[in-house]
Amino acid sequence: MKNWMKIAIGLWIAAVLAVGISMPIGYIPGLGAKARIIYFHVPMSWLAVLAFFMSMWYGIMYLRKKDMKHDIKSASAAELGFAFSILATLTGSIWARFSWGSFWNWDPRETSIFVLLLIYGAYFSLRSALEVEERRATLSAVYSIVAFVTVPFFVFIMPRMMTGLHPGEGSPAPILNANGKMYMEASMRYVFYASLIGFTFLYIWLFNLRSRIGLLSYNNHTEID
Amino acid sequence: MKQLGAILGEMSGAVAIFSKDLYSELRTRYALNSLIMFVVVTLAIILFSTAGETVTPSLSAGILWIIVFFAAMSGLSRSFVSEEERGTTMTLQLWVEPSSVLIGKLLFNSLLIYVLNAMIILAYMLTMPAFVVKSPLIFLITVLMGTFGLSTASTFIAAIISKANSKGTLYPVLSFPILLPLLMSVIDATRLSVEGATFGEAAGDFKILLSYCVVVTTVSIILFDFVWRD
Amino acid sequence: MGSLYNFLNTHSLYIVLIIVLVIWLGIFIYLYRLDKKVNELYEQHESEKENMK
Repeated sequence: MKNWMKIAIGLWIAAVLAVGISMPIGYIPGLGAKARIIYFHVPMSWLAVLAFFMSMWYGIMYLRKKDMKHDIKSASAAELGFAFSILATLTGSIWARFSWGSFWNWDPRETSIFVLLLIYGAYFSLRSALEVEERRATLSAVYSIVAFVTVPFFVFIMPRMMTGLHPGEGSPAPILNANGKMYMEASMRYVFYASLIGFTFLYIWLFNLRSRIGLLSYNNHTEID
Repeated sequence: MKQLGAILGEMSGAVAIFSKDLYSELRTRYALNSLIMFVVVTLAIILFSTAGETVTPSLSAGILWIIVFFAAMSGLSRSFVSEEERGTTMTLQLWVEPSSVLIGKLLFNSLLIYVLNAMIILAYMLTMPAFVVKSPLIFLITVLMGTFGLSTASTFIAAIISKANSKGTLYPVLSFPILLPLLMSVIDATRLSVEGATFGEAAGDFKILLSYCVVVTTVSIILFDFVWRD
Repeated sequence: MGSLYNFLNTHSLYIVLIIVLVIWLGIFIYLYRLDKKVNELYEQHESEKENMK
């Protein structure tokens, strides 16, 4: 990644933060200024899912090519996804305290992010319980594939089948409608998309960085051995 | 013809593995004895803690599947772990196709857990007054499909686990997220059957259950080669 | 200075904004320097490989 791109990412996200926090938003029934969380919370959960997908993708690549490079990438994606899903959970939970009255309500989406956290946790415990590198790579790749094909039941199908508390899921749909239609003002929508793009590029940078660090340490200890 | 022969060979391998496990189980009754004791203990704890309390029907549906889940978690990991402990994995790898190993183990585990679940449900119905099934058909389908999904997913996770350190603790940790979609729909369907719902109301849960079973079975057959030959 | 204090007193949102921007600046500088160090290590690694040959 070029140097100017990193600086551009930095400036872009700074701009999104500034505009997202300070820009006046129109009247939204039941949410008010609390609706600003959409600029930050939704990108976090999107990245958590994207990272989960990438972890599985590199898992498949490892099983096909048996190259440790892919395993390192798979693990890096999972680590970042874990970090982002913790962030999504925390921001959502604090927001829920002030909008719904308690930190945790077992809303369908809360259940799905909880399952995502559990899977990441299980993935890392599996990795730490395996010592032989090839075996660790194979089995964790297999596990992430199995997890990826079963979890969409939760992340995508179940929340659609039950009505929950999330904005857009009840009958008064202030922001996101059940069939995916957006009821957002144009200005808000632009900031939201800008935020999604900015955080996605930040993720790409972080992923790049983390996997290069992983590769360096792998090369280091294999050469000493 | 060649393909048919391969399938037949696979099946006979699977049957051989299944009967090997069955004979060794019948000789020692290791798994079944300890599992029955496990169920008795768990049920006793639940009955002690709910004595004098009113358990609602929907709560009793959840408790039933908690017992089933933990019984499966304590019993099913043995299928692959015991091969690893006795050092017979290599022999199996030499003589039998990977898919027959999976199918054989799956058959044995399914038999074990079907027998076990039948006992759990019988004991639970006798001791838990709140648990009265009003729609037997829904309950029967739920138990049959749920148990199959449970045994497929946990047999596959057991194969992963057998290669790792600290197998006992890792097993429920890895299985729970994978089994959660199954458990949620199964608990919901059981609750419906206790409340006396019509078949149409439970259809959504059955769809989830059915697709879960299909997906997990397919994925475990595809991926088992990697786990086994590693 | 007093007017700025009054402004922030009535618009507490901007205090949040300043804090968030400072945190982001910190994270960004950390990442940027880390990236630089990793690049240096990579170059070192490559030149070591050349020397081995």
